[in-house]
Amino acid sequence: MGRKKKKQLKPWCWYCNREFDDEKILIQHQKAKHFKCHICHKKLYTGPGLSIHCMQVHKDKVDKVPNALPGRNNTEIEIYGMEGIPEQDLKEHERQKANKSGTSQRSGQQDDDDDDDDSNDMPPMPNQFMNGMPPMPTSGPGPGQYMPQPPMPPLPPGAMMGPMRPMGPMGPMGPMPPMGPGQMGHMGMPGPNMPMPPRPPPNFMPGMPAVPHKPAMPPPPQSTAAKPLFPSAAAAIQSTEVSGSPKMSTSMKPTFPAAAAITTASSSTASSISANATITGAPVIKKPESSSGLTSKLMHPDEDISLEEKRASLPKYQALIPGKNTIQQGMPPVSRGPPQSQGNPRMRPPVPPPQGMMAMAQGMNIQGGPPMYNMPYPGSGSNFRPQQGGGRY
Amino acid sequence: MSLFGTSSNTFGSASNSSLFGQTASANYNAMKDIEVNSPPDDSVSCLKFSPAILPSTFLIAGSWDNNVRCWEVQQSGQTIPKAQQTHTGPILDVDWSDDGTKVFTASCDKTAKVWDLNSNQAIQIAQHDAPIKTIHWVKAPNYSCVITSSWDKTLKFWDIRTQNHILTINLPERCYCADVLYPMAVVGTASRALLIYQLENQPSEFRKFESPLKYQHRCVSVFMDRKTNSPTGFALGSIEGRVAIHYVNPQNPKDNFTFKCHRSNGTSGGMQDIYAVNDIAFHPVHGTLATVGSDGRFSFWDKDARTKLKTSEQFDQPLTACDFNAQGNIFAYASSYDWSKGHEGFDPQKMKPHIFLRSCFDELKPSSKKS
Repeated sequence: MGRKKKKQLKPWCWYCNREFDDEKILIQHQKAKHFKCHICHKKLYTGPGLSIHCMQVHKDKVDKVPNALPGRNNTEIEIYGMEGIPEQDLKEHERQKANKSGTSQRSGQQDDDDDDDDSNDMPPMPNQFMNGMPPMPTSGPGPGQYMPQPPMPPLPPGAMMGPMRPMGPMGPMGPMPPMGPGQMGHMGMPGPNMPMPPRPPPNFMPGMPAVPHKPAMPPPPQSTAAKPLFPSAAAAIQSTEVSGSPKMSTSMKPTFPAAAAITTASSSTASSISANATITGAPVIKKPESSSGLTSKLMHPDEDISLEEKRASLPKYQALIPGKNTIQQGMPPVSRGPPQSQGNPRMRPPVPPPQGMMAMAQGMNIQGGPPMYNMPYPGSGSNFRPQQGGGRY
Repeated sequence: MSLFGTSSNTFGSASNSSLFGQTASANYNAMKDIEVNSPPDDSVSCLKFSPAILPSTFLIAGSWDNNVRCWEVQQSGQTIPKAQQTHTGPILDVDWSDDGTKVFTASCDKTAKVWDLNSNQAIQIAQHDAPIKTIHWVKAPNYSCVITSSWDKTLKFWDIRTQNHILTINLPERCYCADVLYPMAVVGTASRALLIYQLENQPSEFRKFESPLKYQHRCVSVFMDRKTNSPTGFALGSIEGRVAIHYVNPQNPKDNFTFKCHRSNGTSGGMQDIYAVNDIAFHPVHGTLATVGSDGRFSFWDKDARTKLKTSEQFDQPLTACDFNAQGNIFAYASSYDWSKGHEGFDPQKMKPHIFLRSCFDELKPSSKKS
């Protein structure tokens, strides 16, 4: 209160009193929010412009500027950004701002989020005028102006680069939370307690130490054949896998206390829920809010689950999934290739490693040449699309 | 002659019609692009082109008919079916190994497999408690592994040599989408959680983001910084026809923004239909991006100039997946039903899946009117 604000006041919108960091964004806001034709969504440049457009193009009378505060919806007053605001309102605004300096002011930062009602449009860069149309003059003959006037001079070049500063090199990950040695503390736990995939690891590569079984070992020297995948993977298995253990939150991520807490919570409930993919009684998706008069409809099922979850729960797709011996409803089994050389695909788990495995495993380190694809096309085409009605191709 | 040559404008409707004969429905091929031979029998869930290391181009598609198919794509635009593999449930995601010799497949049958293309053998490498939604191959200097994410709320790391499970990271919710570009992994889950993992040395959570979107996450794609060639951010698509461009470490908070897409214009009756963004792909050369939506359109965007480069005509059914080949001259996209209108919206007789190939190099050049 006592001393004058050093900074100049932020640009603000006369129609809705909202403040912006930049007059370009203010102008953009006004075009999207206040100067847009409700019929064809054309963005005009001023209130009178909008009124004239609607009258001439759509034969529709617009006597109020949309989304404006009461008393500020006059279509006669020509306002463009900060230009054209009546002197007294300007003074009034300054006084108000001076009074409550220090209260938080909503900035126009998120402006590009919801204000722009143009469907399918990127929010324009603040400096770009749409379609290269010359903006209407901002001051001048006032109401009732019909003739376009000489276009406004281009914006000062200095403003052009506003929010588009070049993206310099940015370390993609920034500072890393410390990790590694600190996590070694919980490695004493014996291996068998660790949840493992339901199948013992096939022992076809004797030279390869099974990493998770030797948690207490320091990372062995980096030999190509037997190096552990992650230097401290074992520790991490301990810390992340012990489901619901209070150790987890402490050992995992001291830097992300909130995150760790959530993970703990979710892991403790995971066992109860994880078995079924779809959650019954899924929350319902809220209706999209419309920021203009336009009503919109979300083309998506009402439950807030993914389309894939919904679809996968259908009997048609469940029929073939092992462990869910639901009856196959009506649908013939979706065409599948014939059982191929590795055996019936239904007999999954203990697949004996076929002879190709060894080669594959070794081939890992070989910078592979082009694949040969010398296998004949399985089923020689006949079962590749057996259900495809011909004719179309 | 190369149909995918950078300057080619060769496939107008005339040259196409001779290749494929008559069209079945009016706009099943709304953009008159090249059709892939022998498309899947059920909806296409994912498309992935082979890495640049291979001398020829291969396309992998996963489908709800439980099969994964591989085609060779010739420069003429011709596609030759090469091989296929089968799961016992619908395929939800596929990925290539960096050397192009193997394909990883993730399925609703809760397993993931590695498919060695040389031997045409597929071996199970992963097991979850629920369908596996995403699968990615990671090759780091000190390890290589497959990362799977599932509706069982876990992210798991697998050693494909031993099929050993080497690490589990719990997620706050079911995974709906993920993308991995070493050393960064992004996971979007139900309830709009958004997590970034760093994969250097020991994979760990790097940050939890507040979602920039207000609706269910559906697809995510990591993009690289043009100068440093390292991942710097991601594009996240939601079911509410909106994509967020998000930098991990934005220099300026205004670098992050969202834009609307895949919505009807709503000119008739003032009603606007909002469709899900089904897939996002970044162009490997230009850094521009493509989105495909339930509305049956694809769009090309320049995120730096914040402009739309192109929108397709409307197809007769949703577009479910898309990808660019490694050279960036072919854009593959699939039209098939995505269940966005539930059971009622599906007509299996009319809605046959298709995969199209489009010569796209010039169309994805960044906007020149940057001023």
